[in-house]
Amino acid sequence: MKRTFRAAASAGALTALLVSPLFSQTAFRKYVALGDSLTAAVEGNCLVERHQRRSYPKLVADALGIGGFEQPFISERAVSGPVGVCLGAVVAGGTITVGAVSQQGAPTNAALARPYDNLGIPGANAADLVDLRVANPSGNTANRFAAAILRNFPGGPFEGRNTVEEANLLNPDLVTVWAGPNDVLGAALAGAAIDQVTLTPAAVFEAKYSQALSGLRATGRTLIALNVPDVTSLAFVRTIPPVVVDPATRQPVIVGGQPVPLLGPRTTPTCSTAPCPIPSSTLVTLGASALLGQGIGIPTALGGTGLPLPDGSFTPPATLSPGVLLYADEVALMQQRTTEINARIASVASANGATVLDIHALFDGIVAHGYEAGGGIVITTSFLTGGLFSADGFHASNIGYAIVAKEVVQHLNEVSGTDFDLPDLAHTLFEPDMPVISASGVLDPAAGPFGYSMRMWKDLVSTAAPSDVELVFPSPVKRVEKVFPR
Amino acid sequence: MTRRRVRYPETFLALALLFLTATPAFPAGFSIFAQGAKPSGMGLAFTAVADDPSAIFYNPAGLGWQKHFSAQAGGSVLTKTEGDFEGANPFPGTGFGVEGQHETSHLLPTFYAVVPLTSNINFGLGIFAPYGLGFRWDDAEQFSGRYIAQNAVIRSADVNPVVSLQLAPSFAIAVGADYRLSKVTLERNRFAINPFTQSVVDVAHIKLDSEIQDNDGWGWNAGFLWKPVGVISLGAAYRSSIEIDYEGEGKFTQRLTGNAAFDAAVAAGLPQGRQDVAVTIEFPASANFGAAINLPADFLLSLEADWTEWSSFDELFIDFENTAIPDLDRLTNWDDSWAYRAGLEKKWGSFAVRAGYYFDESPQPIRDVGPILADADRNAYTLGFGYNTERWGVDISDIYIDFEQRDTRGEESTDQFFGRYSEAANLVAISFRLSF
Repeated sequence: MKRTFRAAASAGALTALLVSPLFSQTAFRKYVALGDSLTAAVEGNCLVERHQRRSYPKLVADALGIGGFEQPFISERAVSGPVGVCLGAVVAGGTITVGAVSQQGAPTNAALARPYDNLGIPGANAADLVDLRVANPSGNTANRFAAAILRNFPGGPFEGRNTVEEANLLNPDLVTVWAGPNDVLGAALAGAAIDQVTLTPAAVFEAKYSQALSGLRATGRTLIALNVPDVTSLAFVRTIPPVVVDPATRQPVIVGGQPVPLLGPRTTPTCSTAPCPIPSSTLVTLGASALLGQGIGIPTALGGTGLPLPDGSFTPPATLSPGVLLYADEVALMQQRTTEINARIASVASANGATVLDIHALFDGIVAHGYEAGGGIVITTSFLTGGLFSADGFHASNIGYAIVAKEVVQHLNEVSGTDFDLPDLAHTLFEPDMPVISASGVLDPAAGPFGYSMRMWKDLVSTAAPSDVELVFPSPVKRVEKVFPR
Repeated sequence: MTRRRVRYPETFLALALLFLTATPAFPAGFSIFAQGAKPSGMGLAFTAVADDPSAIFYNPAGLGWQKHFSAQAGGSVLTKTEGDFEGANPFPGTGFGVEGQHETSHLLPTFYAVVPLTSNINFGLGIFAPYGLGFRWDDAEQFSGRYIAQNAVIRSADVNPVVSLQLAPSFAIAVGADYRLSKVTLERNRFAINPFTQSVVDVAHIKLDSEIQDNDGWGWNAGFLWKPVGVISLGAAYRSSIEIDYEGEGKFTQRLTGNAAFDAAVAAGLPQGRQDVAVTIEFPASANFGAAINLPADFLLSLEADWTEWSSFDELFIDFENTAIPDLDRLTNWDDSWAYRAGLEKKWGSFAVRAGYYFDESPQPIRDVGPILADADRNAYTLGFGYNTERWGVDISDIYIDFEQRDTRGEESTDQFFGRYSEAANLVAISFRLSF
């Protein structure tokens, strides 16, 4: 009887082995994500465990049933200093604005004996995927985060290894690469679209990106490349209108039946001596908030200083003066570069057997008509109230990352013929995202009408600025009280 | 948009309210074909039978053979016995578990009167509710689809005078006017992103309610009944479409979140006071085709096929007069549908036992299935009893309706709302007739 049972069991096991590959969908064993702050899950310009646990790679791993997905967690603590603050919504005088709500702490998963599965490095551009072999804890943003994430500094457990090599150590069968945003984002943050300084030349991008993807290509590995969204549609550059607003209502001040343009440094066909009214096509970044609070960019007739808002500029050999304006030609250059980089992503991906998830098209759609998250909930790009962006205006929120995760799994199902259950968006939509520490929010009184302080802006610009340039920010001027005609 | 207002007598309005019925989805779409206890016992296959006053609804030509003054009053109690929704990813996800519709009972009253005018001309008057919808979710403030609909109601009541003309002993025709009074209600919550928690919160409740007055329309109905040989009858009936332009109001009631600054910002953007709203619904035309045969041993077999022009319900457009409030424009794109019915009656003198079956095809494409309405194909099984003499009669019946599940998982969904709907319902009908 026992022998009969064993024979039957063996036959059953053999049948299962033979049949299961035919009838079960592809199962992924190991997943690794490479990229920048969007992969790491930076929100409100800081990286903390609260957001890392809702990173898009983690949600993808969960949806695919891949356990043990390790991330370089960083603790969160109360605000105690100027570096690494986490931005969130705060209240100032009854108005909802932005302030520091918590602060980055220390790594909590540093003893992991293998590379992390989430290798998103805040501040990294495409070149950093292959060139960042030696992290410098006192270097630029990518260098500092690489010290905690790649741990490839001298004496570190993965000394001398770049991101691609660390990923290969894990022998994944699924890899996502979201590189390129930081090759154009610096132009938006610094208000200066300058080739080879804030914009990576397409050829340079292609060379490094190709090096990364060819290094990741492996037999039996599914490779997905996410491309670059239009950074000229970020809330960071689409929130402040190019006209004077009443700081109490944030509505345009009307004089003579017309809104009053802000002042900029460029002359125009109708203004031969700067400062001049900026054309309506000009984008004003959130970095302008603190300057507007000082009366900069506001005509003297409306209580301003009459000084122009700064446009970013570069002084060779290595001085970048960030600005807060993006004129139409700069916007066009940024969009053109994004198009070029995305074309390179498509061709390099194709050459290396990767498929492309078109984040650019997805984001354009959200900008145009919102994202139908389900059940009548529509997510938009509006600053603080749209749901897509976190409080820094350009990193995604938990909701934004969940949308990316859903799109990745959907894309994977389409290209692999799998039928993985999509991530549960409702869980993210309804789950409050609050600091784990008790914090009521710290408001910078000099943050201006849109609550964005100079400190915040400087931190953001530093995030994506090249490591070899010196940043020279505008000097503050005497704060003035403005009186707006009603 | 301004229309002349007609003042109705209070008694008329009270009567109309009694007949304005909102039912859980019963026959396909939001039509209600159970308008008499006798037809309900025999699978609603009554077009070629039409031998009691409810013929005014099913086929008014049947009045041609009814030679006495008759009045028939009755009603049905429709009970939703199951109305569950099990959510799936990506929205609403599995976290909400199984959510339920309000399982309640609805009364569907009917009244019919037949008045012989001459030996071959009869007048009839019917009051009934041929269309109704009641899709109300339990725990509405937590229901995962509350930003689409918490409660969707269409009530209607028809007053249907008809005249039948018996052209020959075996053939009669009829025509009637169909006046429909209707009322619609839609309740839902409004969401916003709480900037402090970056999560979705409820900030207002919206109730759109049409008025009882002026929301009406006219149509017509007609039919014929032919008995070519003694044991066979053939019938057909048609009821026209009726378009109703509803006017009503929208009320926005704020839901406080507990954050004073956020609540103040929400309040500043919330429409205040009465908001005029308009919506147009075209109730579909329908055509019924039936055949009945008297079998030996006092058996009667009735077969029927019914067509409803649901393709006319291709859009739901709710138009706010205040341009600051976004309109609701939903493409429904329903399909025409068919129902197939069979009924059997066995008589022992004045006593009758009836049974029936029908299959009712849903006109609603899967894309449109959602919290406003999740319609489904259904199989129904009926049983009925009757005791009828020349002077009076009583009929009672039951319909058990077995809905097929609708599953939007992996489908295109207008609401981006995924999961499985399971429904079941039961209808008990009774009617009393007096003839003179």
